[in-house]
Amino acid sequence: MELVKNIFIKLGSLDRRIIFLLVGLSVLLPLLKPAWFALPIRPKQHSQIVFNEINKLESGNRVLLSFEYGPSTMPEIHPMSIALLNHLFVKDIKVYAVALWPDGDFMSTDAFAEVADDYGKKYGIDYVNLGYKIGGEAVIKNIASDILSLYPTDIKGKSIENIPMMKEVNNVEDFDFVFSLSAGYPGSKEWVQYATDPKGIPMSTGCTSIQVTDIVPYVENGQIRGILAGMPGAAEYEELVKTELKSRGLVIKSGEATSMMSAQSMAHVVIVIFIILGNITYYLTRNNKRKGS
Amino acid sequence: MFLKRHIPIFIVIGVGLLTLFGHFINHKGIQDFVEKDALQWFEIIASFAIFLGSLNMLKLQMLKIIRKQKNWPYSALAVLGFAFAIFAGFFYRGANYIVISDINESNIIPITEILTEELQLKKPESIPDKIRASEDGYEIPKIFMTQSGAEIIMEKLEIFDVNMELKSKKWGAHLTERGSLFSWMFFNIFNPLSSTMFALLAFFVASASYRAFRIRNFEATLLLVAGIILMLGRVPIGELIPWWVVAILIVFGLGAISAPWIKNRKMVFSLITGGIVLFLGVGFAMGWNQTPPQILLIPVIQDWIFDYPTTAGSRALMIGIALGIVATSFRIIVGIERSFLGE
Repeated sequence: MELVKNIFIKLGSLDRRIIFLLVGLSVLLPLLKPAWFALPIRPKQHSQIVFNEINKLESGNRVLLSFEYGPSTMPEIHPMSIALLNHLFVKDIKVYAVALWPDGDFMSTDAFAEVADDYGKKYGIDYVNLGYKIGGEAVIKNIASDILSLYPTDIKGKSIENIPMMKEVNNVEDFDFVFSLSAGYPGSKEWVQYATDPKGIPMSTGCTSIQVTDIVPYVENGQIRGILAGMPGAAEYEELVKTELKSRGLVIKSGEATSMMSAQSMAHVVIVIFIILGNITYYLTRNNKRKGS
Repeated sequence: MFLKRHIPIFIVIGVGLLTLFGHFINHKGIQDFVEKDALQWFEIIASFAIFLGSLNMLKLQMLKIIRKQKNWPYSALAVLGFAFAIFAGFFYRGANYIVISDINESNIIPITEILTEELQLKKPESIPDKIRASEDGYEIPKIFMTQSGAEIIMEKLEIFDVNMELKSKKWGAHLTERGSLFSWMFFNIFNPLSSTMFALLAFFVASASYRAFRIRNFEATLLLVAGIILMLGRVPIGELIPWWVVAILIVFGLGAISAPWIKNRKMVFSLITGGIVLFLGVGFAMGWNQTPPQILLIPVIQDWIFDYPTTAGSRALMIGIALGIVATSFRIIVGIERSFLGE
């Protein structure tokens, strides 16, 4: 019994470098050998709602896509952007992109470059990128009231007047749906507060896992229709879009989030094991101290 | 005193009242101010704030370098990075592209082959159609950082007797064009550095939770259990955890909660063991192996935590914050709160 106790006490006081190594391995191994750690991905309710909302849109509808994330949160949110663009383009929906974060410009350009060509979509006719404007909530309020005064040119420096698909748009009420790809402030909350809720435009969001607690009240209230919560949300949406594309005779490879879910699963399990070990050690050492005193 | 104190206060009170009344007074002038002019003012001021922030950052870092303060080489790196970004953003576009026109039909396939081989273009099979469809010349979908890089390709295409033009993307547009100097800096320096910083969090979270996440009291136990359920429930592996593991954990949890009130340890042990045996026995007899009750599935419990306790807690916080904002805004508008003046 004493031996078992000692083993647990030693396990509970591991050097942090060993913990780092084990966490690193738990992430690295599933990425290097995905077949060994393949896990089924089943869409949850919130991801399914997002998918259904987008699926309800019809060909020619207009969707405003807001990019509010950067490189640090790219692994979580960029797969959502890619899956979402696949879904929107296959349904022939017109996409209008804006960025509330300066890094958002790079994210949107990259996402369009990856997807648009696969569906033969033309810039200015099927999709447009209006780029980044500074001002946070002020930009959202401006989009809600007068988008043309805010964006005289697009991200390429082309005059808005010369972009065919901008002729049908004056403010947020001209969009059929708003989707916020958000990693913080300004982001989904501000879209609800200043644009979509006051104007009655349906909206969904894809955000980082850490933001979910902030956004969930709006989702429960119906002000945001569904939520893609972090990388698991992205993976679930990728699966839903993949199935949808398959039903239309299109085959795409599994998205990035799907391939990274095993790594995240293993990392979570390792952290949980460490927490349990730490607590066993805490219990044993506390008892020893009590006996000693 | 008048310029530094009274005028800013008057401006803040005036603009604050106007913006507030704009939501209640149906007057076109006031509505236009609130909905359009004020927002554009804000955007202009916010743009200037970036300049001020940059200058302030430069000043602080330069002072550190000049005074050779602790870790000054990092400051030198920050200034160099800043200078490089300014150079790539304002002085060197590095976003050249080639437009080819007057292409003979018989040359389309050889040109496509050369472009595919030299530039590793995505979806080469679509290039011939794009060349045929282009009216104002075909823009090769590749950005060259230097003119000489583009000229090498142009030399290879010269044999086809096509009209070639070397152009540059517009200032501003060059920033996000994949292949330009600025974009190269973003995707090859900023992007990996930023991702690395964020990824390090995983290691710190693991180490910190191992050391600090302890069952010290009831609240800490609740936090720990909710944390573990969320961590497992959010990922696919949570679905693979069988119902009986959750059943055992529930019995353990109940035992941990009731233990302080039962002094006899043998009694606690017997209750927990008996509880587990009873729970599992009932479960197997009821056929939970095939259709387990929802309450014993980790993802379902995790969804419940998100939908009810989390939502309730977040709402309470949001309402509190909103009331705080109303109170602070009112104090600013009536001139009581002057912290924005540095007081």
